[in-house]
Amino acid sequence: MSEDAKDPKPEAPKPVPETTTAAAAPAAAAKPAAPAKPAPKPLPTPVYNEADGRLLKERRLWPTDMWRDPWSQPRYRMAWVKLIVLVAVALGAALLLGEVGRFAVPVTSFLLEKGAAYGLPAWAPGLVWALVKIVLVLHVPLLSALVFVWWERKISAHMQSRLGPMYVGGFHGWLQTVADGIKLLLKENITPTAADTWVHRLAPAVVVAPALLAFAPVSFGKDLSAADLDVGLVYVFAMAGVSVVGIMMAGWGSGNKYSLLGGLRSAAQLVSYELPRMFAVIPVIMFAESLNLADIGAAQGGYWFGVLPRWFIFYPVVGQLSFLIFLIASVAETNRIPFDLPEAESELVAGFHTEYSGMKFSLFFLAEYAYMTLACCLAAAFFLGGGTAPLSFLDGFLPSWAWFLGKVLALVFCFLWFRWTFPRFRVDRLMDFNWKFLLPWSFANIALAGLYVMVLS
Amino acid sequence: MDCIAFYALAAVTLVSAAAVVRLRNVLHSALFLGLSLSGVAGLFASLGADFLFAAQILIYVSGIAVLVLFVVLLAGRHSELHLRQTNKQWLPALAIAGTALWALSRVARPFSGLLAPADGQPTTRVIGGLLMGDYAVPFELISLILIAALIGAIVFTGVEAE
Repeated sequence: MSEDAKDPKPEAPKPVPETTTAAAAPAAAAKPAAPAKPAPKPLPTPVYNEADGRLLKERRLWPTDMWRDPWSQPRYRMAWVKLIVLVAVALGAALLLGEVGRFAVPVTSFLLEKGAAYGLPAWAPGLVWALVKIVLVLHVPLLSALVFVWWERKISAHMQSRLGPMYVGGFHGWLQTVADGIKLLLKENITPTAADTWVHRLAPAVVVAPALLAFAPVSFGKDLSAADLDVGLVYVFAMAGVSVVGIMMAGWGSGNKYSLLGGLRSAAQLVSYELPRMFAVIPVIMFAESLNLADIGAAQGGYWFGVLPRWFIFYPVVGQLSFLIFLIASVAETNRIPFDLPEAESELVAGFHTEYSGMKFSLFFLAEYAYMTLACCLAAAFFLGGGTAPLSFLDGFLPSWAWFLGKVLALVFCFLWFRWTFPRFRVDRLMDFNWKFLLPWSFANIALAGLYVMVLS
Repeated sequence: MDCIAFYALAAVTLVSAAAVVRLRNVLHSALFLGLSLSGVAGLFASLGADFLFAAQILIYVSGIAVLVLFVVLLAGRHSELHLRQTNKQWLPALAIAGTALWALSRVARPFSGLLAPADGQPTTRVIGGLLMGDYAVPFELISLILIAALIGAIVFTGVEAE
């Protein structure tokens, strides 16, 4: 409705929509109308300056007028149409990608055959297909960052009784992140005088590159992984660890004491929380007997008693404990509240990325969201069954990538929810929580999982 | 193709290793140490040792290099940013390094024909079997030593905190 109010075109002032009463509106008539509902006040007509056509007084629609009878507002009805179209387009795009991906192997062999027929060397079609795969994998972290930033702003706004971005793109500001991205691209690229120039410049790349590389072995559903690595799990954790070097480079290279403190805190925190995060996954490895992410997802197919899915989270005690430890440590690894001490705006003025401007800053931002997406993909694959259906009669109702996407989105919502719910940890409590609670319990968990494996086998 | 990858990675490893000992800024040295270690990881990958590649990155780059950086950031002094990296003892050092290199090449030469092909089989299962089977005793000994080192570190740092 704020778009409606801010329409500044004087040459085509929209006619005042007929503010119908609740009884007259067809949609509202279907609902049980509140007794003795007062008719909404007619909207004031906009006033324009006659000389130059400037808008002097807006036709202002107050939220109370809007929500008294939303269905009578054309804007409100249009918004629902737009939302449905948007969701349909997004689902269609996901369908296209998900369904194309499963033809990876036939397409590769077809390309190889055709290439051999035209006398091309064997690596040429392979190279082309590798490039296509790179694009397909890259769009996951990049697009998800775009969507999740917007989603986070909307969720945080609604949790605080605000509206969030409403203007760019027409429908609930869905293009806001794109506009912000363009703005960040146009910003000046500042290098501080005290900076260690090359370290400062390279740091964002060192943070982002492993974040993107880590998506290679992630299995987005049945037969949907770019690199079917046998050591996929170790690879993902290894790549996620390299980003710490970039954060420390940023902390050092900025030549700023707040950045240095942020870099130090980040190193301490990430190195500490990496341990329970990996130990929480070891029961999963023991149950699945594989390090391959696709195999781990596939090992959770089937149902206990024909109803309850065989997801690792449903293994009594062990599953829930390791899921919780993994979730907490993942939030810590992505530097998000309540573990955002490395960037703590209120004490360290954004910590290690204080001195970064424009695109370099947005690369840090991108890495954070890429790691959040990665953590949710991993949690979905390790504990929530990857691409398997939650109930036995739903098996085959949706393709596996759709189930996977749904689980990832649900987990991302949890991440956003945490951020706008919890206060920040204190440094010493952060370390106590990790070393005295998470780590011992993850060890106990491994022992318990060993007992399970012994009993079951 | 494999040869290009191997030699490029070897060049990265050697050049950054040289930079570690040549650069005057301690932090730059630490960063190049990380690059050198990831070069070694790349060499493992190009020789088809997938588990070693991942473990090298996991332990050396995101563990040891980060700890070295941490120490440099936490305990570094300003004077360490302009250290001279050579002193008058360079001749004996060169002799020791040369001897070590010669000895290593003598050890490595008998195995130089045994390089694994790049498209090797997954190695994790085999490594796990060996660690828990033939090499169980050395493996447990190493873990014992590591635990002793861990407890020793705690004892040494814990006394001051009292």
